[in-house]
Amino acid sequence: MPTVTRGSFANASTSLLFNTGGWRQMRPEHRGRHAPCATACPAAEMPRDYLAHVASGNLREAWENLVAANPIPAITGRVCHHPCEAHCNRRSYDESIAIHGVERFLGDRAIEENWPYPIRSAANDAPEIAVVGAGPAGLSAAYRLLRGGLKVTIFDSEPQPGGLLRSALPPYRLPREILDRELERLLATGMTFRPNTRIGRDVSIEELQQSFRAIFLAPGTGRHRSWSVDGVKPGDLRSGLDLLKEWISIGEISARGKIAIVGGGNTAIDLARVLKFSGAAEVHIITFQTLPEIGNNKPPADAMSATPREIRQALEEGVIVHDHRGVKRLLMRGGNIVGVEIVHMRELDEGGGKRKLVSFEGTETVLKVDRVIPAVGQQVDPAGFEHILGRAEFFKPDHIGRLDGHPGIFVGGDARGAGGSVAGAIGDGHRAALAIQGYLRGTDVQREKAHEPIAYSELNLSYFDHALRVQAPILDIASRSTAAEIEGPISREGARAEASRCFSCGECMSCDNCWTLCPDNAVLKVHESARERIGYVFDYDHCKGCGICAHECPVGFITMIDEP
Amino acid sequence: MAAKHDRDEIAALHHKQPAFRGLDAGHMACPGCGQALGARLVTEAIGPDVIIANATGCLEVFTAAWPRSSWRVPWIHSLFENAPAVASGIEVALKVQGRPTKVVAFGGDGGTFDIGLQSLSGMLERNHNVLYVCFDNEAYMNTGVQRSSSTPHAAMTTTSPRGEHRMGKRHLKKDLLSIIGAHHIPYAATATVAYPSDLRAKVRRGIDIEGPAFILVHSPCPLGWGHDGALTIEVARLAVQTGIFPLIEMERGIPVSAMKIRELRPVSDYLKLQDRFRHLFENVPEAHEELEHLQELANYNVELYGLRGERPESGDSEGSDTVTRGGLRSS
Amino acid sequence: MEAIEGSAAIARAVALCRPQVVAAYPITPQTHIVENLAQLIADGKLRCEMVSVESEFSAASVVLGAAASGSRAYTASSAQGLLLMTEVLYNIAGLRIPLVLTCANRGIGAPVTAWNDQQDSMTMRDAGWIQLYCADNQEAVDTIIQAYRIAERTELPVMVCVDGFTLTHTLEPIDIPTQEQVDSFLPPYKFARALDPSRPITIGNLVTPDYYAEARYTHHRALLRALEEIAAADQDWERTVGRRCGPLLTVDGPAQSRIAILSIGSVVGTLLDARDEYRELEPAKIIKLRSMRPFPVDAIQEACAGLEDLIVLERAFSAGSGAIIASEVRAALSEMKAPPRVHSFAAGLGGRDMPLELYRRLLEAAKTATAARFSIIDLDLSKVAEEDR
Repeated sequence: MPTVTRGSFANASTSLLFNTGGWRQMRPEHRGRHAPCATACPAAEMPRDYLAHVASGNLREAWENLVAANPIPAITGRVCHHPCEAHCNRRSYDESIAIHGVERFLGDRAIEENWPYPIRSAANDAPEIAVVGAGPAGLSAAYRLLRGGLKVTIFDSEPQPGGLLRSALPPYRLPREILDRELERLLATGMTFRPNTRIGRDVSIEELQQSFRAIFLAPGTGRHRSWSVDGVKPGDLRSGLDLLKEWISIGEISARGKIAIVGGGNTAIDLARVLKFSGAAEVHIITFQTLPEIGNNKPPADAMSATPREIRQALEEGVIVHDHRGVKRLLMRGGNIVGVEIVHMRELDEGGGKRKLVSFEGTETVLKVDRVIPAVGQQVDPAGFEHILGRAEFFKPDHIGRLDGHPGIFVGGDARGAGGSVAGAIGDGHRAALAIQGYLRGTDVQREKAHEPIAYSELNLSYFDHALRVQAPILDIASRSTAAEIEGPISREGARAEASRCFSCGECMSCDNCWTLCPDNAVLKVHESARERIGYVFDYDHCKGCGICAHECPVGFITMIDEP
Repeated sequence: MAAKHDRDEIAALHHKQPAFRGLDAGHMACPGCGQALGARLVTEAIGPDVIIANATGCLEVFTAAWPRSSWRVPWIHSLFENAPAVASGIEVALKVQGRPTKVVAFGGDGGTFDIGLQSLSGMLERNHNVLYVCFDNEAYMNTGVQRSSSTPHAAMTTTSPRGEHRMGKRHLKKDLLSIIGAHHIPYAATATVAYPSDLRAKVRRGIDIEGPAFILVHSPCPLGWGHDGALTIEVARLAVQTGIFPLIEMERGIPVSAMKIRELRPVSDYLKLQDRFRHLFENVPEAHEELEHLQELANYNVELYGLRGERPESGDSEGSDTVTRGGLRSS
Repeated sequence: MEAIEGSAAIARAVALCRPQVVAAYPITPQTHIVENLAQLIADGKLRCEMVSVESEFSAASVVLGAAASGSRAYTASSAQGLLLMTEVLYNIAGLRIPLVLTCANRGIGAPVTAWNDQQDSMTMRDAGWIQLYCADNQEAVDTIIQAYRIAERTELPVMVCVDGFTLTHTLEPIDIPTQEQVDSFLPPYKFARALDPSRPITIGNLVTPDYYAEARYTHHRALLRALEEIAAADQDWERTVGRRCGPLLTVDGPAQSRIAILSIGSVVGTLLDARDEYRELEPAKIIKLRSMRPFPVDAIQEACAGLEDLIVLERAFSAGSGAIIASEVRAALSEMKAPPRVHSFAAGLGGRDMPLELYRRLLEAAKTATAARFSIIDLDLSKVAEEDR
């Protein structure tokens, strides 16, 4: 029992012994939330996390974080359609973060500095896995398998790796030097590469099954879809992808007169631009999809699948896009095209997730063209896969690449017919690699819950000032050609500026707000500078549960829960 | 995730924080108390070499209930109306003894605008080297939310209730700043818990100045104003962004700077968050009129102090206290 | 020896105690004290900060803050000013802060008066201060110096009461002690609970009902124990300068006398002179009460042992009740087996002159059969309307 003091004075800081935590009805907890950039990325990158490293000036750590999900950032930083930016919460505040530019910057920097991929060589007796296809899906799977300590052999029918990256991406989008250097560095991590080896012709799946513990199939879609209008097709019909590949390969293309391309994907756009650069008088794109709004907003449900900025550049270069249109009739003279009749055409929602393509009678117009090129998609070339594919256009793996009825065989990339993007392929490869590891261990791979990203409304924007996005340099139209990259890099300062604009949605950025604003000193710093992740701790002996920390956390990292 | 810390480790952390804190945890303020936060921020900006004279009020009662104290610095509470006089005595004693320790006086709005005004005036007039900080929660909160001369016009308190013949407080909020200004002291300023860096910078300025300085800190009271404790900072921020509580600095009575409002908000944004103003949203003519009156008072402030920013600035109502990764706030 | 006005002598005594802070607010009849101090400071004879405050409330608050910060401090007041400080005086005492305050006794309005009686300091008797009353200016000088030692040893503030005008504004020959004498008697001020960042404490806490009584009890006990310290100070002062004041009370008169007059302040001198003048009357003992707080119950019992009549003459009263000092004396004497009859009178209110003749009237008035309850002995009823008598 204390005795009264002279004049009833008290000693300093004695209230620290008094527990005010018992007043609480709710308590704050640190709960990381998923950022929309990560949930939108088909490759499951976490831009928020590597941007944090960039903001701190740790470029190498940023790149290492990035390649944990995507081993070819110098490539995707040029060609990805970056849905991360369309979902970035910053777009609702001013402009989304230029994740695309930062990714490219990091990828290029890694090449310049020759940063090694963070991988240890596999043990000599490690299990061996076969990867069919050295495109983005196969390369991603191989890399992930190597990181898992497995041995990998990649087979490809072509002499060089890359798949469509090499064969179908124009150099003004993806320079050959970058492609070569990035893939050279990647293969140098210890993957065995067997080029000029075609499944079926040179080796069979059964043979692979005997030599390897598991197989990842990522052969892409080697066969173009047949296309005709009412059974009619011009005699000189070539598929858009074939023409594009040919141009990339030999550098020439026939670009006379007025040309119509049917399709709304990257192939259509790339081909259109190549034809325009090569001197075509007019290039038209006809697609039943719609132009995405170029800018910050989420694209409409039936947007063209081509990358929006590529579409924008194409329009700048004079390509004409007829969206929400379809070809109703080919106007022929003899075996040659003289025009196409196009009609308003759209996919309509039939309910239950089904969509139906509908053309609207009475809206026909005629477009005079000298050539029509379909770029309407590809399907799997069945040679060598017949016993797995059957009559289907695509393989049908589950969400992590497993094929029902074919244990030990996994599929990813364009070959599974889910639309196909480079990022998606990378994600497929990563997931399949994890599935393979699970398969080898005999454990089941849990379905990952779909993550709900933190919404814009859950952030506290009072603590961010407006700042516009760094603009990557872009050649003016007059200077553009097929010879040089049209989009340029952002600088190091630009990358850091963009990284500083990142809200860090759902992840503590050590801003000190909670520590500064708690009226009860119940948020304490664990480290001097609290720069490491979660450098704060709650003092539950004194926290009264007022909720200021949660309300004022700019990034939504603190959640109030009922006091247990 | 953070490593698990045991309770002893956490208790020890209170003494290992990278910023000095003169007000410790374990005080008995209501959850979300703006004044507790304000007082702690002030002590951060001053450091340990200080003596504080504190008037009677919430801050004194919830920090100094015997046998405990939340103060880490030497601190004396005498009476309600004499903190400035006690501080004067301390300041003079230290001067004669040749000790450089700073002297600070704390008071609430009741103890500053009303009962302590004479004592404050005397201290300012005699040019004592004391920083006076008034934590303004706009009523006598400690005694149960009675109106003071600082209570805003039309606010409800227990002695200015809404009734058949009344719409809350009849009188206007006393223009204390003009009174302080008339003393021509070297430095006076208004601040708020919503902009802690600005507050700390002003405290440092006040403490470094030779002679008397005065800072009025707007401190929301969740209990008395009728809002959730979690909204304390938001409410305080809106008071600034609506022009109701201008953040200004005065030297020798002349306003020399103001935090510009980048995007002026209507006063209703601020008022609607607080129960003490809920009667203004009734659908009756008196309520409409009072709402308009409060808007006009805010407009008047905006004009008088030139609060509208011409272009965005890093020190304005949107740019102040923005966060950066790693917590490198400006002050 | 110097012929010097009372206020000036008091100021010199204060200066000898080396205060570092003086708070001043003007009020008659104290003002000369602080004016003298201001002159001493201006002439460089006293190194001290004088704070000219804006009210007595602040004067007391300033010295509270100064003393709490380790600087010896001083202020003076009277009447209205003293009452304005009431809250602070209770505060200082409860916080156990050593201070010395001179009360230049004056009556309290309404009705307004500027003249001497002791209603002001008597009103403060419950504030928890030590109260010592001075019979003449030499005692004022000596008591102020002793007061600092008592205050700093007991950690109780001391109010030194000096009759306004009667003492403050009269010239007397005074022996002002030397600085060496005072320095040898009064060491530098060191306050155990000084506000100091190197040893931070919290002063002025709220105390809840479960500890409040014990806190007040501690204060009360300290005041009672102060009786010893008051006595010790007076003894040591006698060793230093060869003079003493009391310390608690003095009895002057023939040992065999069965009648005594107890009074306080400057009127004691008048009573002593009157006794010499009126030789034909039976000489009464004159009991000079010096310490009103703590109230010296034992000393009073001792002084009154064997008396048949005790006349208590005071310079204030409690309206609606009557005597203040006499009531406390009666309570003290009630413990005795054969206490004297106590006759209670007030006189000289609001500065009314108290002539030598008062002595004779007091002795006459005590010759009643029963103890005189309480009356204002120098009242003139012809000045009072019939219905108000």
